[in-house]
Amino acid sequence: MTSILSSLCMAAALAAAAATANASDWIPPGPIKMLIGFHAGGGADTQARFIAEELEKRHGWAVIPKQVTGKGGLNLAAALKSAPADGTVIGIAVTETFGYNMAAAPNAGMTPTDFTGLTTTAGFQMGVVSLREKGWSTIEDAFAEAEGGAQLRFGVMSPRLADIAYLLGKANGVAFNIVEVRGGRAVLDGVNAGDLDLGFMAGIQSNGVAAGDLVNLASALSEPLKQTPEAPTFADLGMSFNSDGQFVFVAPAGLPGDVQKALASAISDVVSDPETEAGQLIAKAFGGPVVVTGDALQAQMAADYVAARELLLAASQ
Amino acid sequence: MDVWSYIWAGMLAVFAGPEALAVFDIGISITLVMVIFGFLLGIVVGAIPGLGGPTAMAIALPILISVFGFAPDALLPVMGCLIGIMKGATIGGAVPAILFNTPGTPDSYMTTLDGYPMAQRGQAKKALRIAHFSSASGDTFSDVVLIVCAPFLALLVEAHLDLPEKTALLILSLSFVAAAVGGSVGKGLIATGLGLLAASVGTGEDFYPRLSLGAAALNRGFPIATSVLGVLIVGGVFHQMTQIAADRMRQSVPTPIPQETNGRLTWADRRALMPVIARSAVIGTVIGALPGIGSTLAASIGYTTAKARYAMRKGIPEFGQGAPQGVAATEAANSSVSGANMIPVLSLGIPGNTAAVFLILAAESIGGFAPGPSVFRFTTDSVNPELVIAFGLFTCMFVANLLNWTIGGIFMRSLGFLVRVPKQRLLPVVLVVTLTAVYVQDPRMEVIWFTLGFGVLGFGMRLVSMSPLPFVIAFILGGRLEDSARQAFAATGGDPWFLLTHPLAAAFVALSVLIVFIGVRSGRA
Repeated sequence: MTSILSSLCMAAALAAAAATANASDWIPPGPIKMLIGFHAGGGADTQARFIAEELEKRHGWAVIPKQVTGKGGLNLAAALKSAPADGTVIGIAVTETFGYNMAAAPNAGMTPTDFTGLTTTAGFQMGVVSLREKGWSTIEDAFAEAEGGAQLRFGVMSPRLADIAYLLGKANGVAFNIVEVRGGRAVLDGVNAGDLDLGFMAGIQSNGVAAGDLVNLASALSEPLKQTPEAPTFADLGMSFNSDGQFVFVAPAGLPGDVQKALASAISDVVSDPETEAGQLIAKAFGGPVVVTGDALQAQMAADYVAARELLLAASQ
Repeated sequence: MDVWSYIWAGMLAVFAGPEALAVFDIGISITLVMVIFGFLLGIVVGAIPGLGGPTAMAIALPILISVFGFAPDALLPVMGCLIGIMKGATIGGAVPAILFNTPGTPDSYMTTLDGYPMAQRGQAKKALRIAHFSSASGDTFSDVVLIVCAPFLALLVEAHLDLPEKTALLILSLSFVAAAVGGSVGKGLIATGLGLLAASVGTGEDFYPRLSLGAAALNRGFPIATSVLGVLIVGGVFHQMTQIAADRMRQSVPTPIPQETNGRLTWADRRALMPVIARSAVIGTVIGALPGIGSTLAASIGYTTAKARYAMRKGIPEFGQGAPQGVAATEAANSSVSGANMIPVLSLGIPGNTAAVFLILAAESIGGFAPGPSVFRFTTDSVNPELVIAFGLFTCMFVANLLNWTIGGIFMRSLGFLVRVPKQRLLPVVLVVTLTAVYVQDPRMEVIWFTLGFGVLGFGMRLVSMSPLPFVIAFILGGRLEDSARQAFAATGGDPWFLLTHPLAAAFVALSVLIVFIGVRSGRA
């Protein structure tokens, strides 16, 4: 999986380099409405707003951020699907929206083919985290406590993560009480307050882990966490599923190729530049930029959608 | 960071934040400017009958967000301005009450009872000074109680309440609001139920847009601004317009009464008023800390308590005939609500009255600050930015308080002329500005229809004497109640009786039932 990601990143970097010239050539036919699928004030929202500001500064485009939240990004996707495919409406959500969430909500009538992927910006350093005072050093310790009869509360922030937590327990012979809350901040608050015993956190745990208050018990990714490389990955724990995903900019399907390239290169340039506010935030909160664009991104979105169906099937058994 | 570092950081966030202007090379922060602006605006709107603090806060909020944006550094200037309006409006309301027997805000109605008779005797200036002194004293007391109590209450809740207890606490708050606001428990419960129903549209954990009836416009639910502004402001405007139409024949422009030139308030006068002010400040603070019952009830209880106490005293005019104690009791009580009503907001995330609703709305719109127990987490190894903002808000309250003591009195005494602003011209302006403000925040035509629809609902509620406040509080707390109940259910391993199997949660639920029962019984009596 790591090698696939590396190949994707390399292909994306080449694609971005080839498209760089187009960003300055393209002139939007009007102001660009940037739909943001995250609640105001969090790290994801701030990232989007920093990118909007930098695009205005670099290219002179008028970029108007607008919150369209709810339903795991499906409200944003619905608004985007019916928008004109000329580059004047783009949106930022997570890849999970176009994979698991669309697969889990067939009534919504949307698939990844209804959208044009522009670029990813960053991944998540998703770990399973608990308080240090619990006395656990890896998730195996939590499993042992659950096997001893303790009812452990596992905080998650989306239905997909709830399924993954369920399958993680199932693969290791334990049953968690899975509690879904709104966003990683709520999981952190729940763990700190003692309402939750452990939970998924997508980077928000880094300060607490560095200070020694929190422990990354496992990496929920296909690769080790950058901050705690010794923590086992989900594959080490007998799981065939993981929580890999990225923030992704998308546009409606049918976006002309030159517009797609111009927007993708403009955004990826901003997030890859460590001097920009967006680049600094991404480095600090999300472990650095992850840029996948063009056909590679479209293929990844389609693959996520197929993989999500497998996850839904496994969780329903 | 230790506690003192947090307090210091909060003060710095207010005084050393982004600079708005410089006076004699001394930079004045934008937050400070906004608190001053909000406070003066609050006094002005308080002095105009028919406007009042909540209307001004409602109109100001979307405009402030448009100006300051959604970045976390917008929180203090925006909320500082709203706090300024909230505090200013309370003292502003006394001006027309004393000078023209017309309360500027509902909570200054009792001020007319003794303030206007004093004005008729030529003592309007003295009455205004008493109102100001009592108001500022009550406000200061209340702010001190807030700062001492809110963090402790939050820490207590965080340490001792689990998810089932937190769910039960929300149910208790809603029951209390339903039973305490307005004259009828039944109407309060209906308003609460309607608020919860409206909050359920298009929300929930499922990917399917619940209760949307297949309408795409309802998929995202009702934006919070449309329901709050619609029911509270637009509904109020519709209602007042119909009242103006009914009263047109009887309306007359009040004329000023000749006044004594010397209306000084001596130290002896102040000392004599202190007991009544202290008693009313305690009453207002206790009432302010309870969700749902606001400054109008505090003023009534403060006044009636003082009246009972001073009824037999010789040497002072009778209550209702121009007793300075009557003015002091009312103004100290209604002003001491403003600080205390922030206790449930900051420590529990539960809005206690209309002004607090707008502070929650500001926090939700801008993001980065979620009022509730988690705000008061005194992390030592890293900075809790929400706690810095909380202490920043405390600082804003004290700045507004200081303004109240210094320029508040002079400013309020110069605003008597505002009673002549014609309501029939003012209300359409309020309506247009509200609708524009809602549209600017969420530029979709649906939000206008939602706001007008909620306006009609608010109007209807007023027609049948149903307070709209339980509706609004239920709408705000509805999502949290659902989340909290779902989480408690999941955390207890799917126990459907989680509200009854946890002793404290069961006690809260029993108390909720008891409150409603007592309310129904006392209503019948």
